[in-house]
Amino acid sequence: QVSELVQFLLVKDQKKIPIKRADILKNVVREYKDAFSEILNRAGRTLQEVFGLQLVEIDTKRHTYILINNLPHPEGEYLCKDKEKEKMGLLLVILSFIFMKGNSVKDSALWEFLRLLRVYPGKPHRVFGDVRKLVTEEFGRQKYLEITPIPLTDPPEFKYQWGPRAEKETSKKDVLNFVAKMQGKDPRFWASQYSEAE
Amino acid sequence: ENRESMLNSKSNKLTEALEEANRIFGGVSRAREAALDAQFLVVATNIGKEKANELHSEMSAFDSAAFAEDLLTFMGINRTEVEEETDDSEDVPGGFLPSDAWQTVGEEAAKYFRRAPTFHYMMGSFKSEPPVPKQRIERQKKASRGKAERAMPAQLKKMEESHQEATEKEVERILRILQTHFENDPDTPISFFDFVIDPNSFARTVENMFHASFLIRDGLAKTKLDEDDLPVIEPTKPSGRGEDSRAGARNQVVITLDQREWK
Repeated sequence: QVSELVQFLLVKDQKKIPIKRADILKNVVREYKDAFSEILNRAGRTLQEVFGLQLVEIDTKRHTYILINNLPHPEGEYLCKDKEKEKMGLLLVILSFIFMKGNSVKDSALWEFLRLLRVYPGKPHRVFGDVRKLVTEEFGRQKYLEITPIPLTDPPEFKYQWGPRAEKETSKKDVLNFVAKMQGKDPRFWASQYSEAE
Repeated sequence: ENRESMLNSKSNKLTEALEEANRIFGGVSRAREAALDAQFLVVATNIGKEKANELHSEMSAFDSAAFAEDLLTFMGINRTEVEEETDDSEDVPGGFLPSDAWQTVGEEAAKYFRRAPTFHYMMGSFKSEPPVPKQRIERQKKASRGKAERAMPAQLKKMEESHQEATEKEVERILRILQTHFENDPDTPISFFDFVIDPNSFARTVENMFHASFLIRDGLAKTKLDEDDLPVIEPTKPSGRGEDSRAGARNQVVITLDQREWK
């Protein structure tokens, strides 16, 4: 049972969409519903000890889970597909913008910023294709970004914040360090962001 | 309306609007008007929050335009060269962005995320054409996007089967070669190494060893050591196969061969 669950979680995690408890119950645990938390705990332990991955519940109301990496960062080249790397690059840039701008930005502000990087919502991008879809749907569903409509706006506008996966997989401190590195400045240069990130 | 002008930090328009709303509310007598007033308050507080946010970032002097410029620099933009545009890139400052621009950022970005590496089964034997398994993984991903999880295990099974078929064909082929050889010279088992080594390709050699091991596992061939203690291989006689598989001892042999030895 436990090893079934471990495999199930690893495969489900491929697309980085949070895993629902209902799916776990339906596909793996089935008749053993009462033992669910025990099975889950053991699976979590296996994931940690064998793979160095941490099982995290990111939504305690809707009971959704993600896997994150608990191993220290490898030196040298990071092993993953190029497509994945490029998306991570775009994501980090977006998360940085959101954080440095006070943790919440309007969609118009975000896209105005991305324009400066030659990324346009209406135009297919050489690397990312349909960028709007990538940002609003993929990053949204993966819970890297939390996109909520702003009430009473017409045409509807949205605000972008960090999603729960972003909160777990990185930190304000890390992101501030990234910004500092790009700009060749000490992170303390941005006083309020620095104190928020500590 | 006038959202942008209200957002201007120097403007007091928001305050004025609030005061006006307060005043008008005194004359409200119907529920509908009160609802409108409430609506207005929601909009006003949103604007107020935005204004507060803008103040905050002004204090910490985050210049997003400068950040963008620094990012472009990091990506390796060439500002001296003017890009020969086949696709129009309208009103963006000049400079040529290399095709690996986002890979460069991505390589750096990966260090900041604790992302679990995506898990894929290592399916099947060595394939002579590397691109094929990659395609299968891509298709599997695209197809299972949005579908129920039940679809995913079914697709994984399909991959397994086709890999197995290919292996079986190879094994059959090798068996036939072994048998043909033996027809011509029935009493001399072939040196194992002569059988499996491909003088031109190390990878092929390993593949051949792999397929030969299946023959032995299934009892279609057997190996033994000759007088010089070198391994030889011969097909098993079909009639004796039934008895052998029951009585035959199942031993495991590990053969190591690295590229230097192979040469």
